[in-house]
Amino acid sequence: MTETKPSVINAENTPFINGLWRQNPVFVMVLGMCPTLAITNSVRNAVSMGLATTFVMAVSYGMISAIRNLIPKQVRIATFIAIIACAVTVVDFLVKAISIPIYLALGAYIPLIVSNCLTLERAEAYACKQPVVKSMLDGLGMGLGFAFALTCLGIVREVLGAGTFLGFHLFGPHFEPLVLFLLPPGGFIALAILLLAFAYRKERQLKKAEAQS
Amino acid sequence: MSQLIPPPESAPSRENSIRMVRLLGTVSLMCGVLIVGTNLATRDRIRQNQETIMRDSVAELLPGVKKQVVYSIAAKGELKVMNGIEGEGQRFFAGYDAQGKLAGVVIEAGERGYADVISALYSYSPATQTIIGFKVVDMRETPGLGDRVRSDEGFLANFKQLDARVENGKEVHPIVTVKHGAKKNPWEIDAISGATISSRAVGRMLQKSVENVTPVIQKNLDRIERGQ
Repeated sequence: MTETKPSVINAENTPFINGLWRQNPVFVMVLGMCPTLAITNSVRNAVSMGLATTFVMAVSYGMISAIRNLIPKQVRIATFIAIIACAVTVVDFLVKAISIPIYLALGAYIPLIVSNCLTLERAEAYACKQPVVKSMLDGLGMGLGFAFALTCLGIVREVLGAGTFLGFHLFGPHFEPLVLFLLPPGGFIALAILLLAFAYRKERQLKKAEAQS
Repeated sequence: MSQLIPPPESAPSRENSIRMVRLLGTVSLMCGVLIVGTNLATRDRIRQNQETIMRDSVAELLPGVKKQVVYSIAAKGELKVMNGIEGEGQRFFAGYDAQGKLAGVVIEAGERGYADVISALYSYSPATQTIIGFKVVDMRETPGLGDRVRSDEGFLANFKQLDARVENGKEVHPIVTVKHGAKKNPWEIDAISGATISSRAVGRMLQKSVENVTPVIQKNLDRIERGQ
């Protein structure tokens, strides 16, 4: 009991670390599964999607938190969606202005961020109840946690499915890639393996804590 | 039965409704202003980036080109030299080597794919009447499947000498996409397995563009060779 209480307090006070690791959106909360499975067939796609989501979450949560006391509960979801969609459109313009090659790499994924349940869930569960800085940190942590999980999945799938990392060939010409990992079933298999590893690690930590107490 | 149905949550009063409408209106207005503001602030930069990327793409599709002239085709098939890349009508870029000789033209084309319009550039040799290069500029095709039309080496190999001959203003053999592995003729495009819709969109795009643009290029070839 003495072990759990401080960790809960820490989780509330450190929203950034919380999203990044303790409540990782993919490995712990199992949220945002559509983009997680759909676009992690290469590391570049995974990193791009993760970073775009991070920016949108941090900016939109700041905006939502700033007007949280003015939003009537009946129209809160509509308001959140309008703000998140606005942030996504702004990101779309900014990326296009910063670099067209990055926009071409990200272009297909940016509009998908609006439909990611993770963005809406955190707005509802956290940003509409917390102050601006904490909400932005939560968006940043959750977004980077999401990017981390996507990158892990992207590495497994690209290395096994294509024998490459960021497009560079890792193995010799005789390597026969497991193409299954680039296809949707491979996404499920790779995700299951990573979730299992995460759950096993968590289980071991809990047992260790129990034994110590 | 009526006891099972919970009474509706306190129905919004008139004041509450006005408050909700006012908030949603304000949020929408703020979002609109933010989007329009970002658009205005980034418009020139985006245009510059697009021009740079377009010129780089032309140089990539026609290696060794030292000078580029942008033409547009007006509604009646009239050819005009453009100052920048912005303007009305179908655009194409003529590329000239160090001796000022026409190396080829790069034509803009677009067609609806699986998710949205696929925008592309292709290089065309007026001398051999063949398509000699292809590059996707913008698309929203499914990552990992349809988006392979941008990078699949086997698919891009279709555009090394793709027959695009035109006689009397009509294609001799319309360009067509065939099933993966079924290509037999030089005017056929070998589709990507698993990305048939996107591959077919590329075939339709080139067929329509060749039919509409290349007759104008052939008709005005002397003028284009002089860069006028």
